[in-house]
Amino acid sequence: MQLPIHKYGLIFRLVEETDAEFILSLRTDNIHARYLSPTENDLQKQIDWIRKYKKREEKQQEFYFLFADEDNQPVGVVRVYDIQNDTYTNGSWIVKPGCDEFISIKSDLFLADFAANQLENKRCVFDVRKDNKKALRFHRMFSRITGEDEINYYFTIDEADAKRKYEFLTSII
Amino acid sequence: MNIEKFIQEFTEQFDDLDTSTFTAETLFKENDEWSSMTALSIIAMVDDSYKVRLTGDDVRNSKTIQDIYDIVLAKSKL
Repeated sequence: MQLPIHKYGLIFRLVEETDAEFILSLRTDNIHARYLSPTENDLQKQIDWIRKYKKREEKQQEFYFLFADEDNQPVGVVRVYDIQNDTYTNGSWIVKPGCDEFISIKSDLFLADFAANQLENKRCVFDVRKDNKKALRFHRMFSRITGEDEINYYFTIDEADAKRKYEFLTSII
Repeated sequence: MNIEKFIQEFTEQFDDLDTSTFTAETLFKENDEWSSMTALSIIAMVDDSYKVRLTGDDVRNSKTIQDIYDIVLAKSKL
């Protein structure tokens, strides 16, 4: 898949060090980042994290995407990581406050396209915080819970359900 | 369909907000909890309870619960 990609009215590309400030501003927003792992408000540490990530990206172990609007203004990020022989995980989803409600759906569709192209035959596994009630309700529509611990439910989605989810989301946007 | 039941189902999609004052005229996006996940929850609820598929434009173009109710009502008659 050739990046950047213009799709669903957004531009998707891989994160670069120069995006550190934008990402930090999202991840240190106490309300919108409350379901993500905590991030220290330290720009240099964010740059260092991205630098290390780019090495994982080179090895095709991880992909951190930034999506921008048609004016090329960054609006959010999402990450594909823990890519194994038969599974992968996505997460670190966050969208700039005040943006169109359906941007995150469009980025989810992009991930489905990316997975179909680059992660063929791999199953998506992911976790959702137990207190993230709306996300749980949504994921229960299409995905299956495979386990839980004190903090998270663990989900997986098979090919047929991923197709059903793709069709549902496509019908909305 | 009746609006009272619809408002109740609608408010159930908000987890953190006191929705006891929600009425048909409530501007449902004018609060801190409104997000893409709330929008998706509402679309999923309507899909499940009323067998009607709301679109992003339906939600974008609506301000009040009554607006959404009217769209669901119109689409359910198609």
